Amino acid sequence: MWQQIEESLRDSMGRVFTKIATLLPGILAFVLVLLIFLVIAWLAAMLARMVLNAVKFDERTNAGSNTLTEWAPRQTPTILVTRIVFWSFVVIGVLVGVSTFEAASAESGISAYVFSYLPRVIGAVVLLFLGTVIGRFLSRSVLISAVNLNLQYARLLATGVRWLVFVLTAAMVLDHLAIGGEIVDLAFGILFGGIVLALALAVGLGSRDLVSRSLEKEANRPIEIPVEEKLHHF
Amino acid sequence: MPKSDLEEETLSETQHTGPVDLLIGIAGAVNAGELQQQVQQLQGYQGSHVVVAYPGASEVEAALPAESAFRLMPYSLPAADRSLLPWAIASTAQRTICAMAVEMGAKVCLSLHSDLATLDTRHLELFLQAIAEKGCDLVLPVYPSRKFEGLLNHSILAPLTRALYGQRVRFPLTPDFGCSAQMAARLSDSSPHHAAGDGALLWPSIQAALSNYQVCQLRLDIQHATQTEGLELSTILSSLVGSAFSEMETSAAYWQRIRASHPTATFGDMGQQWNDGEPVDTKPLIDSFLLGSRNLQEVWSLVLPPVTLLELKKMSRVDPASFRMPDEVWVRIVYDFALAYRLRTMNRGHLMGALAPLYLGWVASYAGEVAGLSPMGAEQRLEQLAKAYEENKPYLVSRWRWPDRFNP
Repeated sequence: MWQQIEESLRDSMGRVFTKIATLLPGILAFVLVLLIFLVIAWLAAMLARMVLNAVKFDERTNAGSNTLTEWAPRQTPTILVTRIVFWSFVVIGVLVGVSTFEAASAESGISAYVFSYLPRVIGAVVLLFLGTVIGRFLSRSVLISAVNLNLQYARLLATGVRWLVFVLTAAMVLDHLAIGGEIVDLAFGILFGGIVLALALAVGLGSRDLVSRSLEKEANRPIEIPVEEKLHHF
Repeated sequence: MPKSDLEEETLSETQHTGPVDLLIGIAGAVNAGELQQQVQQLQGYQGSHVVVAYPGASEVEAALPAESAFRLMPYSLPAADRSLLPWAIASTAQRTICAMAVEMGAKVCLSLHSDLATLDTRHLELFLQAIAEKGCDLVLPVYPSRKFEGLLNHSILAPLTRALYGQRVRFPLTPDFGCSAQMAARLSDSSPHHAAGDGALLWPSIQAALSNYQVCQLRLDIQHATQTEGLELSTILSSLVGSAFSEMETSAAYWQRIRASHPTATFGDMGQQWNDGEPVDTKPLIDSFLLGSRNLQEVWSLVLPPVTLLELKKMSRVDPASFRMPDEVWVRIVYDFALAYRLRTMNRGHLMGALAPLYLGWVASYAGEVAGLSPMGAEQRLEQLAKAYEENKPYLVSRWRWPDRFNP
């Protein structure tokens, strides 16, 4: 009995080592390809930066009023372009690496699966980037406008807008990646609908008296004689 | 000679005017009948070959007598965006007037506000004397001072221009000005990178400084009203201060070499001293500043150095009655925002919006300080502020040259 267990374990270990031995050339090939592409990516990014600096790309792009830096202000256009070049080569390296892995390890179907899923990943990354940038931009817009309108709850409003955009982005990203299926749609619908309903109830029930009083006041307000402004900015 | 930006119709009109001694351009929409009346009152003016250009159709021209030295001439403005602010439209018109003066070969060019308050014989003669007899290339008006008017000009535009370009000009962005032929040529060609009618402001005093032309000032006893009702302060700041910052960017090589300002020759009698009545209530202004201070710290921290943030924090804790913004703090705030505008630290609309509560803080501080002073006393206070701009210019130059290294 003990001998049979030992034999069976040895067989299993043997199979594991055989599998690793089969995969090892593939993994090595993947790592090697990735390293080569990392070097290429680094060289390409450096070349791109040199070329862009030589043609004064930052100055040229900043000459216009609505540039990319208006939306992602902490990065210069040159840095953004060089990063895009770098990561493009890294992604290409991963894809080539997966193909090499498949060719070297006799594991079929991996690259087909990765390649078919890749457009979704790229789309999700783009969505995430845009969502983050738009969320931050809108949040800051709302915050500054609300402060200039003397709204006491300016920060709350800005935070609300930011999280609304982030939640919407997260739902879109998950939907795009086909993760969670119907649950994400449903959860987002409930969350979004819940917020709107809560606001409607707050205005309709909680602030009913306030709204009616303010409407009444507006209707009965006498015609105001404009008071001359004492301060003139321009 | 650069290709003229004038509309085709206006260009053909200017080519048939014959010799012109003086071109008077009305920089904005004007009532044709009112203009005609005003021009008829100028008949006592001892000059020859005067063209009065106004934006619009040509229905007025026939009404003037044939022997008149004056000729009314309509001109068309480049199609401008309807959302442009009044001063942006006026700047487009001023640029067109200068281009017309160049095309006509006018010896002197006057660009006047569309309310026609400046269009009388006395003012014309004052402008002409300054240009023809005193050799000024650019004559800018000095309007009567009122304590609580033109605050944006007094707090940012005028002292900033003075510190940067070395010219002590009271109103660098003005609805009226007079200029010589060579100055008109410079002004008509001053913004080659801007499309016609895009709302870029015209800064005659800066252009004169860049060309080393002689600038003079003329005291005028008139007041113009600018319609700013319904405009948000951040929009006004974006347009005016944003434009001043933009000019800073394009002329950085020039202003970094200027070390001190020099007085500008000023002619004309001291105007009437206007009474500003009761002191203003500064509480809403301080409240706006405090609201900004509570909510915009993260935005301000991207623009302002820690020392300034600390000063602002201290100011937000003092009693409203003793609320004061030291000149040095305000000047450095303006300089830091100018730098952030140049570096695009954040969206420029956001940047100007974030400046609004700080500006209101300065207004509150200034209103509190000058409440008990005469208009002359308030002027002295503003002179003190202008000196602070000059004294802190090395700070701006250092930050401009080494924005990352120099951050106190």
